Amino acid sequence: MSAPALTFNAVTAGYRKTPILQDVSFTIPEGEIASIIGPNGAGKTTLLRVITGLVKPIRGTISLFGHPLENLRAAERARLVGVVPQSMETPMAFTVEEVVMTGMVRTANRFHPPTAEDRARVERAMAYTDVSDLRFRVYAELSAGEKQRVVIAMVVAQDPRLVLMDEATSHLDINHRLEIMTLVERINRDHGATVLMISHDLNLSAEYCRRLILLDHGRIVADGAPQTVLTEQQLKAVYHCDVNVQTAVGTGSITVTPARRWMPDRSGSGIRIHVVGGGGSAAEIMRQLNLCEYTVTAGALNAGDTDTDLATALGLEVAVEKPFSPITPATLDATRKLVTLADAVVVAGLPFGPGNVANLVLVQETLTAGKPVFLMRGIETRDFTPDHSATRLAESLRTSGAREWDTPADLLPLLPSRECKRTMN
Amino acid sequence: MNKSRAVLLVLILGTPLMAWLCLILGSSGIGFPDLGTPIGKAIFSLRANRVAGGFIVGAALSCAGVVFQALLRNPLAEPYILGVSSGAGLGAAIAILTGLSAAGLAWLPGLAFVGAIITLTLVFTIAHDGGSPSVYSLILSGVIVSSVCSSILMFMVATAPVEGLHSVVWWMLGDLQPAGLPMLLTCGSFMLAGALALWSLSPELNAMTLGTETAHHLGIRTGLIMGIGLVLATMITAASVGLAGLIGFVGLIIPHVIRALVGPDHRRLIPAAALGGGTFLMLCDALARTLLAPREIPVGVITAIFGGPFFLLILRAKRRRGWMA
Repeated sequence: MSAPALTFNAVTAGYRKTPILQDVSFTIPEGEIASIIGPNGAGKTTLLRVITGLVKPIRGTISLFGHPLENLRAAERARLVGVVPQSMETPMAFTVEEVVMTGMVRTANRFHPPTAEDRARVERAMAYTDVSDLRFRVYAELSAGEKQRVVIAMVVAQDPRLVLMDEATSHLDINHRLEIMTLVERINRDHGATVLMISHDLNLSAEYCRRLILLDHGRIVADGAPQTVLTEQQLKAVYHCDVNVQTAVGTGSITVTPARRWMPDRSGSGIRIHVVGGGGSAAEIMRQLNLCEYTVTAGALNAGDTDTDLATALGLEVAVEKPFSPITPATLDATRKLVTLADAVVVAGLPFGPGNVANLVLVQETLTAGKPVFLMRGIETRDFTPDHSATRLAESLRTSGAREWDTPADLLPLLPSRECKRTMN
Repeated sequence: MNKSRAVLLVLILGTPLMAWLCLILGSSGIGFPDLGTPIGKAIFSLRANRVAGGFIVGAALSCAGVVFQALLRNPLAEPYILGVSSGAGLGAAIAILTGLSAAGLAWLPGLAFVGAIITLTLVFTIAHDGGSPSVYSLILSGVIVSSVCSSILMFMVATAPVEGLHSVVWWMLGDLQPAGLPMLLTCGSFMLAGALALWSLSPELNAMTLGTETAHHLGIRTGLIMGIGLVLATMITAASVGLAGLIGFVGLIIPHVIRALVGPDHRRLIPAAALGGGTFLMLCDALARTLLAPREIPVGVITAIFGGPFFLLILRAKRRRGWMA
């Protein structure tokens, strides 16, 4: 078993004695493609600069292919690690060929013109990245996608065993992003190069890497396969924004989308909304209400229900019933207390049966007491009570002035809210 | 590329030709001096001294300019950017105004060189802040030290007697007055060694122009190369300032022109700039000697007046291979 490509052993590192990375340990085996993800300021770039020796660790040790980093001379390090930066600019009119040739600056003889072998290496690197036709073009005049291919050709000519990609595709359009990543995959496969990338692009990372390392505040928060790292809860905690994670059934590929903020210039701060939900039907609406700064309460919900779990995770006040049990008078009383305090009541798209129809009765009381009620359309289709009492209750709610909604986007503008100045921060 | 090779070939073949041309031009008339007569011999050695001096000073300045522009990644960088000119000027002014320069030929270039080296040391010490100095702190401390030296120089000039004043101003405009063969040989070999050392750093200089971090990733000890490169370039600048005073334009424009002609690869650029800069200054000095003969025009005046328009044309035509940003 050969030594791993990269080992971080309890590394603390930073600038001018301010630690950015805190006690970071991980190992990248040779031949892996891994990605380090995390929000701005998480320490991704510092981590990369530690690997390339630009930032010296305050504590801990790093080893590259079994060699302690601090013992490696610059030229030796360059044979082990190469970097594809976010972009490379030069004010000089170097041709593409000259730039690629520079990748071998520490292996070519300075007192001789390039040997046949050197030339062959440059040719191979250019052919590999499909920049041979650009060889006499001036690098500075190429498009961003072409420039990145040339930089990769330069790194291929350098021929390192570990390739670091520093946000290498973030300036590129989707097509060129794919092109570069495919190229990197080939370098990994054909040259056996280990690839460690740093990326803001969670979807790209999930697509191309079998392993993700999630960094936050200089510490590793999660490390593993994309499906274990990219969970909504984990990402929300790290990125402080709501995200949707979806796995495509056919391909298994994971897509992360940040949830839109629904009310950019309004706030529900100080307004209480009670949500009647269950079975995950109220998850989205509770999340968004919470994001819009409403004080959200929920119930009555059964313990163990998806909505209950989410409400608890969001720190909401919930009236909870025992698992799989009909609502008891005691729980209904607890719910009534919450409803009484609320400024409005929202009924989500939950199915109604004999066990939970009592919730709707409570809602009716509230409406009679003069509080606005918002029903999700289509209770009839979700009514499983033997006597269709839910349908009847819904009918009477509508006639008494309850308003209906289809999606959270419809609902939010209907709710009471206060205007707030948009702040830039 | 073949075109840049052709330019290099023209420079290699053209330089001796131009040197010959400069030898037959002089304030005593046009024509090769008659080596059979003592006067002819004297005129020949005088002209040969000037031609050689012009060549080595021009070559050193444009080499240094190339290196400064590459390391500082700044198109306005020139050999005097780190304040070497003011330091050397101060040294020269001291030599002239204290009368030391009249006592021996070596005093003026010697003190100018010492002034330049002291300035360089000061600039590096100020810019050095723990790690390796950044480009900005180098340029800034260069400007600061240079301003201080200039102010002292201006004070000395303002309080100097008239005849001393004339010498100082003349020196500051650039002057290739013969300094004697030993001085030429000393400075010449010093500059040759420096230029060859810089030439041998060409691969590193190429990588550094792709950015300090990229160079680091390619395995270059950037701090070390920056230090060695700047010190060597400043040393040969200091030697040229000692020999010929402050000659502007050559170290700033010749690198740009030659880069536009042969491309930015320093393996070609440095020798081409040395030949181009040397020949250019040699020609300028020939003009300075003959245009208003027997009066001499300061060579620093000629470089810009005649070089300006000519090189402007080249740069316009070859913009695509010149500085891109």
